[in-house]
Amino acid sequence: MSVCISKIGKAYALSSMIVSIAISLCIFLVLLIYSWDAIIEQGWSLLTIRWHPATGQFGILSMLYGTSIVTLIALVLAVPIGLLTALYIAEILPDQYRIVIKSILELLAGIPSILYGLIGVAFVSTWLEHWLLLSSGRTILTAGFLLAIMILPTLITLAEDAFHNVPDQYRESACGLGLYRHEIILRCVLPMAKPDIVSAILLALGRALGETMAVMLVIGSIDRIPQPVFNLLMPGQTITSKLGREIEEAAFGSLHFSILIFMGFLLMLTVLIVTIVAHHSLSQTERRYE
Amino acid sequence: MLSLVHSMVTNVFTRQNLYFRAESADYKNNIDTMSRIDPTLKTTFICRTLMSAIFVALIACTPQENIMVAGSTTVLPIISKAAEQFSQTTGISVIVNAGGSGVGINQLAGGKIAIGMISRNITEKEKALYPDATLITHVIGKDAVVPVVSSKIYNAGITALSLKQIGQIYLGKISNWKQLGGPDKDILVVDKEASRGTRHVFMQAILDDKEALAPGADLVLGANNEEQTAISQSDSAIGMLSHAWLNNDVKGLAISLTDGQRIEPNLQTINNGSFPITRNLLLVTNGTPTGHSKEFIDFILSTPGQTIVTESGHVSLHQ
Repeated sequence: MSVCISKIGKAYALSSMIVSIAISLCIFLVLLIYSWDAIIEQGWSLLTIRWHPATGQFGILSMLYGTSIVTLIALVLAVPIGLLTALYIAEILPDQYRIVIKSILELLAGIPSILYGLIGVAFVSTWLEHWLLLSSGRTILTAGFLLAIMILPTLITLAEDAFHNVPDQYRESACGLGLYRHEIILRCVLPMAKPDIVSAILLALGRALGETMAVMLVIGSIDRIPQPVFNLLMPGQTITSKLGREIEEAAFGSLHFSILIFMGFLLMLTVLIVTIVAHHSLSQTERRYE
Repeated sequence: MLSLVHSMVTNVFTRQNLYFRAESADYKNNIDTMSRIDPTLKTTFICRTLMSAIFVALIACTPQENIMVAGSTTVLPIISKAAEQFSQTTGISVIVNAGGSGVGINQLAGGKIAIGMISRNITEKEKALYPDATLITHVIGKDAVVPVVSSKIYNAGITALSLKQIGQIYLGKISNWKQLGGPDKDILVVDKEASRGTRHVFMQAILDDKEALAPGADLVLGANNEEQTAISQSDSAIGMLSHAWLNNDVKGLAISLTDGQRIEPNLQTINNGSFPITRNLLLVTNGTPTGHSKEFIDFILSTPGQTIVTESGHVSLHQ
């Protein structure tokens, strides 16, 4: 009997794994198949700026720019704050507060992104508008700022885990060697936690790349690269905001639809590459503790 | 549910581990010891399997029959109110979703909904895209697309513009309110998503091309309420809205004609057709409506239905 149940369990686990893999593969293949039209018919002309489906012009350059710059802003804002917060919680805060603070931060990660978007529209964009005397607060910077807030909880919890997982005996040994606290953190804890921190940042990056709702509401959704290129106080467009706004109105199977799917495919490829790089960097720099 | 499946899988894994360990040593004996270790494990396992089976069966139940409606956010307020009254009297539920006119046509032709809401005509391109669909439109009311500005601009003296001037703004040739006799402020030009009904009608009126590009635009937004919010938040914006969405923060401009006449946007000018940017509000079905869809459309065309159209700030068919 127990052998039988054991076999059923094994089959159940195996089939679950096969289903998960099949789903990911299917998504990948479907995206590839639907974006095939776009690649064949448009080719390199996709890498232009003008987007006007009515006349058959599909330049996705401004969306690519938007996605990369918004993600960059989010990381630049979130990584330093996130890492320092994590460091404080793991190294300085007494243990009894750690769980409390961490759970509060993890709650933030569970807030639906549409709420962040509404907060962005109602407050963040109007504040930016008043402080910086802009004609509209819906800018690339607003989107980046909002994204930074959204990825912070992910970043903090994962980085905190990374610090916390460094065994105490290393800190004790370092202390025994007469190192100051900041030296212990900089020379001992930080290098040991590095691979996990890198993967925390990459996971946050993945979330930032794929975020749709909040970005869509505050970015202004205009297919344009600002002039000059690093003027972050102009509205823009990301791949996700474009998809969010247009995928429903593009007729299923049309070239327009295919190009939108192609952009989604590009996004998925990016996330895939990021994940692979993350795994690679983790396996290469071997864990220095067990 | 997820946690249940999760615990089930972990359960299996712990057993598996025991099993493998047993295999490496004395196989048979250990299997026996294993079942002696935890006899409750077996029953929990069966219980959980049963529970997940029940859950799957629940999901597989057939849903209640209802009418799916989607599309224009201009028509949406009318239809949601009508849906409420309709389901109260008949017991048939109507599910109404937004998305814009383009979405209404797409989903209808794609068979996802029974009735589409549109606030513009169906384009030739859309007809060509769906040769198998016979899209039939039903006029339920009349509306105007009104060029709107932030209240600050309106109060500063810009209360009427000509279609040509508005066209120049959207083309980016006029970019400061000073050029139109207003305050020295950059114009925040608010555009709409390409397939929105309001945009088609508006662009046709000001630029003679319903799908014209607007190089002067600063923001591209979607639904009427999104546009309304952006314009009321700003102090220098111009945009386009359905007549029913005007309020104190979002002021409708009068249109000045070439002969110097000013036409205010109100129900009277929409009704007699003198306001230059008017349109019909439409429902669209794939083929002649039958069954519940027909009942629902008939309800909207009846007197109580048309009262809702008037209450929503549009012109009804009887006016």
